[in-house]
Amino acid sequence: MIDSVLSVRGLTLDYRTPGGTQRAVNDVSLEVRRGEVLGVVGESGSGKSTLAYQMLGYRQPNARLAGGSVMFHGTDIASLDRTGLQELRGNRISFVPQNPTTALNPAMTVGDQIAEVLRKHKRMGSAAIETRFAGLMEQVGLGQIPGVADRYPHRLSGGQQQRIAIAMALACDPELVILDEPTTGLDVTVQQQVIELLKSLRAARGVSMVYVTHDLPLLRQIADRLAVMYRGELVEVGDAEQVFTRPHHAYAKALLAAVPQFQAAPEATTTAAPGAPLLEASDLSIAYGRRRGFLGIGRSEGARVVPGVSLAIGRDETLALIGESGSGKSTIARALCGLVPPAAGKIRYRGEALAGRLEDRAADERREIQYVFQNPDASLNPRMRVAEILARPLDVFFGEKGRAVRPKVEQALADVHLNLAYLDRFPHELSGGERQRVAIARALIAEPSLLLCDEVLSALDVSVQARVLDLLRELRARTGVSMLFISHDLGVVRSLADRVGVLYRGELVEVGPTEQIYTAPQHPYTQRLLAAAIGTHGAPVAPEPEPQAILRREARG
Amino acid sequence: MVAQPLAEKPRRGAGLLAVWRSAPSSFRIGAILLGIHILLAVLGPFIALYPQQQMMAGRPIQGPDLLHWFGTDQLGRDVFSRTLHGGWIVMVLSISGTLLGVAVGSVIGLACGYVRGWVDEVVMRIVEAILSIPFLVLALLAVSMAGPELAGSPVLVVTAVAVIYAPRIARMARAAALDIVTRDYVTVARLRGEPTLSVVRREMLPNAMGVLLVEFAVRAGYAPILIGTLGFLGFGMRPPTPEWGLMISEYRNLLTVQPWAVFGPGLMLSTLVIGLNFFTEGLSRVLGRSPMRGAA
Amino acid sequence: MNTVLSLIVQRVVYSIGTLVLVSMIIFAAVEVLPGDVTARILGRESSLAAREKLRIELGLDRPVVERYVTWAGGALTGDFGMSLTARKPVSEVVFGRLGYTLALAGFAMLLYIPLSIIPALVQAFFPNRLPDRAISTLNILVLSTPEFLLSTLLLFGLAVVFPIFPPLSQVSAATGVLNFLWMITLPAVSLAILLAVAGTRLLRESLIDLMDSDFIRMAELKGMSRTRIVMRHALPNAMIPWLNATAINFAFMIGGVVVVERVFVFPGFGSLLVDALQLRDVPLIEASVLVAAFIFIAVNLIADVLAILLNPRLRT
Repeated sequence: MIDSVLSVRGLTLDYRTPGGTQRAVNDVSLEVRRGEVLGVVGESGSGKSTLAYQMLGYRQPNARLAGGSVMFHGTDIASLDRTGLQELRGNRISFVPQNPTTALNPAMTVGDQIAEVLRKHKRMGSAAIETRFAGLMEQVGLGQIPGVADRYPHRLSGGQQQRIAIAMALACDPELVILDEPTTGLDVTVQQQVIELLKSLRAARGVSMVYVTHDLPLLRQIADRLAVMYRGELVEVGDAEQVFTRPHHAYAKALLAAVPQFQAAPEATTTAAPGAPLLEASDLSIAYGRRRGFLGIGRSEGARVVPGVSLAIGRDETLALIGESGSGKSTIARALCGLVPPAAGKIRYRGEALAGRLEDRAADERREIQYVFQNPDASLNPRMRVAEILARPLDVFFGEKGRAVRPKVEQALADVHLNLAYLDRFPHELSGGERQRVAIARALIAEPSLLLCDEVLSALDVSVQARVLDLLRELRARTGVSMLFISHDLGVVRSLADRVGVLYRGELVEVGPTEQIYTAPQHPYTQRLLAAAIGTHGAPVAPEPEPQAILRREARG
Repeated sequence: MVAQPLAEKPRRGAGLLAVWRSAPSSFRIGAILLGIHILLAVLGPFIALYPQQQMMAGRPIQGPDLLHWFGTDQLGRDVFSRTLHGGWIVMVLSISGTLLGVAVGSVIGLACGYVRGWVDEVVMRIVEAILSIPFLVLALLAVSMAGPELAGSPVLVVTAVAVIYAPRIARMARAAALDIVTRDYVTVARLRGEPTLSVVRREMLPNAMGVLLVEFAVRAGYAPILIGTLGFLGFGMRPPTPEWGLMISEYRNLLTVQPWAVFGPGLMLSTLVIGLNFFTEGLSRVLGRSPMRGAA
Repeated sequence: MNTVLSLIVQRVVYSIGTLVLVSMIIFAAVEVLPGDVTARILGRESSLAAREKLRIELGLDRPVVERYVTWAGGALTGDFGMSLTARKPVSEVVFGRLGYTLALAGFAMLLYIPLSIIPALVQAFFPNRLPDRAISTLNILVLSTPEFLLSTLLLFGLAVVFPIFPPLSQVSAATGVLNFLWMITLPAVSLAILLAVAGTRLLRESLIDLMDSDFIRMAELKGMSRTRIVMRHALPNAMIPWLNATAINFAFMIGGVVVVERVFVFPGFGSLLVDALQLRDVPLIEASVLVAAFIFIAVNLIADVLAILLNPRLRT
């Protein structure tokens, strides 16, 4: 009755790291049924990618199979030799990568890259390949692009590249497709298109899919069954709806709870306190990357990223800017703090004009506006201890240094709920979430009135995100700091912001109180953005991490 | 919310022995070879059986025997003793030349990388132009332009090495600076309004040290070859200095009758360079593996 | 296509700028910086009258800028003045010797290509296994051997102990083609070996880096064979850095020949340069160094243009 395509039996896998052996997958057993989409979720390091790659018989050089099997039509993939695997891969079991931009060979046309699969597995001749290619392009929605076969990957957009990768995976009519975070690097709207494509392909072909992601809401749209991985163990597997609504395992419950739901902020604050705003930008126009060139060579006019934006942030207010990558969100924040002087327009702070160039601002003006960056790995100097990192602003802004600053530094660390022992550590000795806490502490120790938060959660794991978000709420309540919160994560924004501005190609298409934007969006782009994020089940799309090979991170341990 | 539990803190200074054990084998071979060479360079002049200039220490042009490991030359000088005496000369010249080149080059490069603008433009064009003169030609040009009074002086040899290395280091240090400048932590320091000097000293230099160190080691590994080549061509140290390249040049015409006079110094030169190269390769691997990778 | 063209024009203009700058540097280094050039040429003991005569002969009595313009203008038409020692036009002396050296370098280049690619491919097929380690170790050993020692050892082994090749390469205009090739085999081999080792190391690094990239893993997960992965997916992507390194290596030969020509007593450009420097033949020095820099810049320009043309990202 249960028609299974592939079954994993007691699979156990170790990584050898400099620190010793580490169990990546521990005694996992599960079935992939015919025609189903099995979602595999978990945070990075949970072993979900490692598990998925075992279904292709692929192991990192430092991985060792400690036991178990992966049975596919009577063959154990886990112990298959190289020739056997080559026969299988791309033919009966195929793969869709996380990041098509790096997964397609830059020096080979996409036509050649698909053709080599057909030539190898189906022994097709040129004419047959051409017909097949045209059919595949039709199926993945690239049929209208002329001469697509002769294009190099860089001449296709990210979404188109992913369609090529999907076409490649389907080329030989496989029984099973393994998808490794296939929409992670894509914009929200493109993400939705790829999901729709996958759904339609499944309906048309009845192919089984294993869909690996950390993005629960997304899985809810497509998965029939769900497997939850935690620290190398399969903690829960079952019908998707059941896992979503009635999870059994404590971790699955926690994981689901960590996803910011589509709900209003706990205590809905009134919008923009009356009176003058804290910061006001009018007709801000920002261009990037202007170059002078040498003897007229290499001169280029900067692309105008933001053609003219006006916005205001009130005292005690959190204004969120949402939009897809490249919409100019970060650019605006960088202009406000003086990093990118605006080409035109005015910034007023507490009613006074604020210079565009950082160098022209007074020390107090620099102190009042603090910036927290997306990635704490990059924003903390790797060669400074936490204590020194936190002491720098005190030295620069208040002229306090030496032993006297110790109590302040300790207080700042305690404020972000970090142990005092961390003061003597280097950033690399902290976890990602802890590092972001240090970065937040460094910004707040300057006693700012305005905090610019630039995608501060997106480099963190889901459960860590929830805790850092809580911290931001708490600090905001305590210090009354205003925030410009930049994010593409609509769920997080709804739970934090008082007002929301929607950016589209550098223009602010809509601004308003959070609930109004979410419940009654006026602009068509806002409507589309929300529709893409909400999907079919009314859940928001969770944040995307930096595109990086999750598998490699797992392998490093 | 409760304080985060403490993550396990890696042990610091777990002992040199542990570092040694975990180091790649190439690093260990290099370190051993280098150690022997340093020992020989320091003790060489004392353990050599003959003063390096003593003629008729044995019969002229005599093959290796118990007293004369590398045989003797036309003047009956003991080649092994001369080679031992030459060790510290080769090392001191190599290290000083490299140090000078790295110091000058990295100051120019880091400054250009941070300041940018027309200063950077002009300086780097000149650096590129100098780099388009093949380096050996540049060294020979530098030496012969210094004039006959300085010929054969160690200062000239050190300068020649530095002249070759400085522009190369400058280009490399500038690239490193350009990379570091884009890091968010430098941006944070700029946002605070830290003065230029403070940014270079606190944020950039510590993060460039790893690259500069490896670069220094790589260059130091080639310096003995460079100095030897200058000596061999007659543009470096002058006889009777027992510099190894010069010795090989002097004894080349003995190749058919007493090849050990060439092999000996050649063996010493090669093993020194092999030691330095292995050491460097291991060093860069150790540095690359460390968490300070942010610097690279 | 427009970007490709403008990139190439940009490279050409840049190279010309570098050449002009380097000519200024050479001129300054030879004629301006060292103080009294005539005293340097004739020696400290020379009479003032003799110095004055030479000063006029060299045109040193004229202002620096004027002298540079005259010299650079002459250089443009291939006129570098008269050699002080050979009493012949400098261009005649330089270009005669340059022919020999370019033949030697070209021969070495032919040996270099297979010598650098094949070992790297072997290493890429067996990364971190015995063949890879053996070749890497051998590479370090060769790289640690100075060129003058390596060529001396080759000469000792293949011309003295086993007298297969002639120990000296004293070619002349009268030497026949086959005999010429025979005589330059040893110098060419010793030039090629050192450069090939550098090329192998670089190619191996890029190949091994590439073998760790996403698109190689993708090819593996498509069921492609190991051979196809290395030859069709990794190698083409590694060729551009290899090409650049090859250009630098070729340019390096222009310096490296100095040593090799000296060991094998080969009457090429390198030995001419050494002679000119030792005899303080100012016009000859200026011309030789400028020619060396010109070759370096030209070869790098060619490599850059090739890299632009080969770059798939710039292809339509």
